[in-house]
Amino acid sequence: MTSLKRSHESDALASNISSKVYVRSTRSGKVQKIVREVYLRTDIPCSSKLCKACLQDAPRNAAQEVQPFVLSDKPAGTKSFPQGHYLVPDTNALLNAMDLFEQSSSFYDVVILQTVLEELRNRSLPLYNRLVGLTKSEDKRFYVFFNDFRLETFVRREPNESVNDRNDRAVRLAVKWYGDHLAQTKAKKVPAVVMLSDDRDNLRKAKADGLHASSLKDYVGGLEDGERLLDMVAESQSQGGFKKPAQMLYPEYFTLSRMMTGVKAGLMHQGIFNVSPYNYLEGSIKVPAFPKPLLILGRENINRSVDGDVVVVEVLPEDQWKEPSTKIIEEEAITRNENADAEEGQDFVSEKERKALQEQVKKTQKSTSESRPQPTARVVGVIKRNWRQYVGHIDPSSASKSSQGRKQANVFLIPMDKKIPKIRLRTRQVTELLGKRLLVTIDAWDRDSRHPIGHFVRSLGELETKAAETEALLLEWDVQYRPFPKTVLDCLPKEGHDWVVPASAEDPGWRDREDLRELLICSIDPVGCQDIDDALHARKLENGNFEVGVHIADVSNFVKPANSMDTEASIRGTTVYLVDKRIDMLPPLLGTNLCSLKPYVERYAFSVLWELNEDADIISVRFTKSVIKSREAFSYEQAQLRIDDASQQDDLTNGMRMLLALSKKLKKKRMDAGALSLSSPEVKVQTESDESSDPIDVKTKQLLDTNSLVEEFMLFANVSVAAKIYDAFPQTAILRRHGAPPKTNFDELANQLRTKRGLELRTDSSKALADSLDQCVDEQDPFFNTLVRIMATRCMMSAEYFCSGTQAYPEFRHYGLASEIYTHFTSPIRRYADLLAHRQLAAAIGYEAVHPTVRSRGRLEAVCKNINVRHRNAQMAGRASIAYYVGQALKGKVAEEEAFVMKIFSNGFVVLVPRFGIEGLIRLRDLAETEPEADFDAETYTLTTKGSREVKVELFQKVKVRVHDEKDEMTGKRGVKMELIEA
Amino acid sequence: MASQQILFSPAELAYLHRSLSLKPPIRPDGRAPTQFRPLTAETGILPGTNGSARVHFSDGTEAIVGVKAEIEKTIEAPRAEESKPESNEAASERTRGDWLELAVEIPGQRDDEASTVFLSEMLREALLADKEFAKKLFINRRFHWRLYLDVLLISPPLSYPLPLLSLTTHLALLATRLPRLKSEGDEDPMFDDDWEASTFLYPQEGTATNGSRPPITLLVVAIGDNVIFDPAKEELAVAETALAVSVAEVRRAQKAGDMEVDSKGRELSLLSIRTIDPPSRLTPPGVPHTSNTGSSAFAPTKLQKAGDQETEGVWKAPLGGTKFGVLDGIIQAVLEKGGVADEVLDGLEGVELS
Repeated sequence: MTSLKRSHESDALASNISSKVYVRSTRSGKVQKIVREVYLRTDIPCSSKLCKACLQDAPRNAAQEVQPFVLSDKPAGTKSFPQGHYLVPDTNALLNAMDLFEQSSSFYDVVILQTVLEELRNRSLPLYNRLVGLTKSEDKRFYVFFNDFRLETFVRREPNESVNDRNDRAVRLAVKWYGDHLAQTKAKKVPAVVMLSDDRDNLRKAKADGLHASSLKDYVGGLEDGERLLDMVAESQSQGGFKKPAQMLYPEYFTLSRMMTGVKAGLMHQGIFNVSPYNYLEGSIKVPAFPKPLLILGRENINRSVDGDVVVVEVLPEDQWKEPSTKIIEEEAITRNENADAEEGQDFVSEKERKALQEQVKKTQKSTSESRPQPTARVVGVIKRNWRQYVGHIDPSSASKSSQGRKQANVFLIPMDKKIPKIRLRTRQVTELLGKRLLVTIDAWDRDSRHPIGHFVRSLGELETKAAETEALLLEWDVQYRPFPKTVLDCLPKEGHDWVVPASAEDPGWRDREDLRELLICSIDPVGCQDIDDALHARKLENGNFEVGVHIADVSNFVKPANSMDTEASIRGTTVYLVDKRIDMLPPLLGTNLCSLKPYVERYAFSVLWELNEDADIISVRFTKSVIKSREAFSYEQAQLRIDDASQQDDLTNGMRMLLALSKKLKKKRMDAGALSLSSPEVKVQTESDESSDPIDVKTKQLLDTNSLVEEFMLFANVSVAAKIYDAFPQTAILRRHGAPPKTNFDELANQLRTKRGLELRTDSSKALADSLDQCVDEQDPFFNTLVRIMATRCMMSAEYFCSGTQAYPEFRHYGLASEIYTHFTSPIRRYADLLAHRQLAAAIGYEAVHPTVRSRGRLEAVCKNINVRHRNAQMAGRASIAYYVGQALKGKVAEEEAFVMKIFSNGFVVLVPRFGIEGLIRLRDLAETEPEADFDAETYTLTTKGSREVKVELFQKVKVRVHDEKDEMTGKRGVKMELIEA
Repeated sequence: MASQQILFSPAELAYLHRSLSLKPPIRPDGRAPTQFRPLTAETGILPGTNGSARVHFSDGTEAIVGVKAEIEKTIEAPRAEESKPESNEAASERTRGDWLELAVEIPGQRDDEASTVFLSEMLREALLADKEFAKKLFINRRFHWRLYLDVLLISPPLSYPLPLLSLTTHLALLATRLPRLKSEGDEDPMFDDDWEASTFLYPQEGTATNGSRPPITLLVVAIGDNVIFDPAKEELAVAETALAVSVAEVRRAQKAGDMEVDSKGRELSLLSIRTIDPPSRLTPPGVPHTSNTGSSAFAPTKLQKAGDQETEGVWKAPLGGTKFGVLDGIIQAVLEKGGVADEVLDGLEGVELS
């Protein structure tokens, strides 16, 4: 009987075919055996510019072009390889030291084997994505060699051979093949092919085969700045790192299958772990099963999760339920004098922490039924780590003990983000790194290590220098701040700054565009605004009604869907405004020139034109692409002055007066419908001049009528556009919603208002809330109302972009604006959502065909998700920038200011200083030299101190504080320090 | 009946019957009564399956069996034991008949033809009757493996294919591997994605769970007083009794049962016996309606008489049931030490698994 099986020996062609067998578990729980046939080829090039043979054989595309070769013909040499070398890292080398490969001083000409790439993808998706990014960058010269598809380098798995051994063998064979192959080129200097690995066994076998092989440490040590680079090798995997205490500090994680079973059965819960900003030992997790988040208290229960991780928790028995902490617990204060080296001598819970816990227990017991213990949970496993790169600085107290010489030392890094625990680093350059802003990554957090272990990536510069701090906060908020790549700039119009609206109306640019150049249009923006998104006009019609137009920069004319500029903009999502800097979403040529509706020049615009009657009711609305010519670009102040100046009676000014009158009516209508006027403390940092940009003063933003004028018409336009695109695309319209906050969100605030002021906060609808917020006034204190509004704002949900098909119509509602439907249309230069709305509106009015990207719901959902995150990050970055500058403005100054108590803890309280828009924490121990004893009444929100200083602090109370800057020697951070002068 | 009506003349049939009734019988192909047709076999021919085998008998019949395994959620059975009709005793072992799906395909026949269904039920019944087999499919209380056996006869059905299909199924199951379980207890199962790490459904010798082997079903006929194994189609045409005997191998000592016979290191247990209507029982063409056994209820009595007038050299379909003595003899021959089942299993052990 002839066998039916494919034999590998007999068939002449069989050597070209192989197969790969594995088991695939699908999400639905199916388990399949998968057999893939592999067809081996001989034309996969080595991609070295030295090699002529490969160039001849390499596969060609339809245009008969060969993919350009990547690896340099004169690769850099090192001490051990003076003839030049190509690197072939194996998987663990990449896992341990991806940062090394990304840095720019060395690690060029790298061959990434397919085996390695696939193994890396299985081990770590983020690292895989970074590597793929590297292979795409042209200057790093990374080449992916498909060794498993090349006949000579394909390795068949031996019986009883583990996958790892097989892969290692494949790497060695590829290195050998490369070496032999390059030797055949007969080049004068044949580069060495060096395998990088941290696997001792692999290295040994490679050496035995006569290959060039090196461990990461040896290789990096041979480079010029080896000392610095060595710090970038991940900590966990390097051998003989920290001493391992036998004792396990944290409970073990459950197996994935156990967690999944538990989650499916509803016995465990999955969610994103959040750390409380006031207490690093308290976290919460919002799970779909419960209306309120679950508390996670204490190191052991938090069990190595870091803010942002997707974790699985298990609810603790009822006797372990607790109240959320009323104390401020800062990691730096409690674990201040830890030694990064000495680990084993210490208990898992340090003495101080234990004390804090005891007090916690006391507190819980003392409390009455009013504040019942909350359900608590413990983390039993992590589904997905969301570790990113963290910015921080080295804790000098941890360094002092071990900073002598170039010896490797263990230090703690204190991240800027208070929610992130201290990270233990091992470095040889403590002295250089002290006092610098550093970027680090977390490598691992083992059960026997109290703190996560990480490694140094790069230094951003001296603490408190503007460049370092700005970059730090951009990194911390994940803002894309690198210059636009060439591919993006290639999408700009060829004329550059000389681009003008074509003179002839025959030009294709004029197709379906209305000529509105005759209208008296002007723009009103903040002082010095360069990216003018919007302009307005109004005129009286013959029938007594008004024609009002809102003209928005026609960005979609320049940014075509799905080109690289569009992709880049969709990733950036929004322009980020820092005090001294603007990180653009679109290249500045568009943002500040071609799209910007500058005065006195013709520009393309997208116009919304209404006919309104005397009461600002809409008679008709229409949308059109247009060409406009703005007559003037006003600042808010200028516009206000011009309107107020009765002597100005020109048409433009009268048009503005019309707009103002109509906007007041619109606002009244909106307020009557229940729109909220909310507050957040906003300040403006004034800088002396653009060059020095040293802050000289901080001012709270002043609101003029003209601000509200612009705002009203923008809202009006957004609502009209939202209705139009939803009508045209019921499934895929990009809209913005603001969910009604759950009632429980206001419980705390309502209770505080009731007990302290006897005020009732009604939250059943936005109208009720708006009305009851209006009632919250204090005769003596006009700011009280603002304070309550600020606090109410914090109870709200955040507004979000969404795709209309994902929600039911009633859910479209914008709670804050009391509008049934809303979108963003008016700032396409700085928000990507607006750009999408433009495209949809253009399609809705039949101006252009619907592009597939604007129609695919899955894609739009992904875009919404991204821009929601980017939007929030941009806000955070902006605030952080203001906070930094406020600190800088106060440098060396002392100010006495009024402040309001916003939050009370048993050992301190938080005050808001309206003048600077900053919040500060005043701890009991700051009140006097010896910490006064205090009595905290959680029900009346009163903190009474006795002993060294006697004060009584209540919620909402007005206090006087001294504000000055302080550089915390320990954290190296310049912060604002507040002292209580009088209560 | 699977094999087509064999068109032998009554004289030819009588001749066959006579020579097979001799002691020792003379079989048309010259085999000894307990001798199997020579066969060649290989396993692992279908890479996409969990296990597969191909067996080729020297008479030209050939079969392929592929085994596919799938995870299935165990539906909690209500306490009242309402086991599926076909799974009978096996149901008590927490296994239910629907954990195994077996499809037989015979070229030129519909898959819902009675004889095909009967054939597949016979194979399935033997597997389900084996309690060991049921335990192997159990993952935890919430999940089990569900096996799909696709049994394909790829040659025309020259003889009754039961022994061929059974042996092929046996080999395919021996070669069947399941992904290695990584999870524990009653969790949702998770598996190792390395196929090399997968485990055999029937672990081989030397492993910790030195277990049994899948059952085999043998076809035995009695002609006169002779017991003949693995009958060719000519032999089946004159068989007085045809039985399908299913036997499994049990390695661990089991509670004493009548049917167990010791053989060095191998214990065999009888799983099931079924009588098969051999073509000899069918009325050959040209028999007058009055003497047709199948045509009326009264026929047997009448025909008994008709049988008396047996003419030498002319074949008459045998009448009446199997004698107990013959049945006993067959079981003895199957189970005895060094008996046929032993021999077959020994022979199959030589097939390399891959």
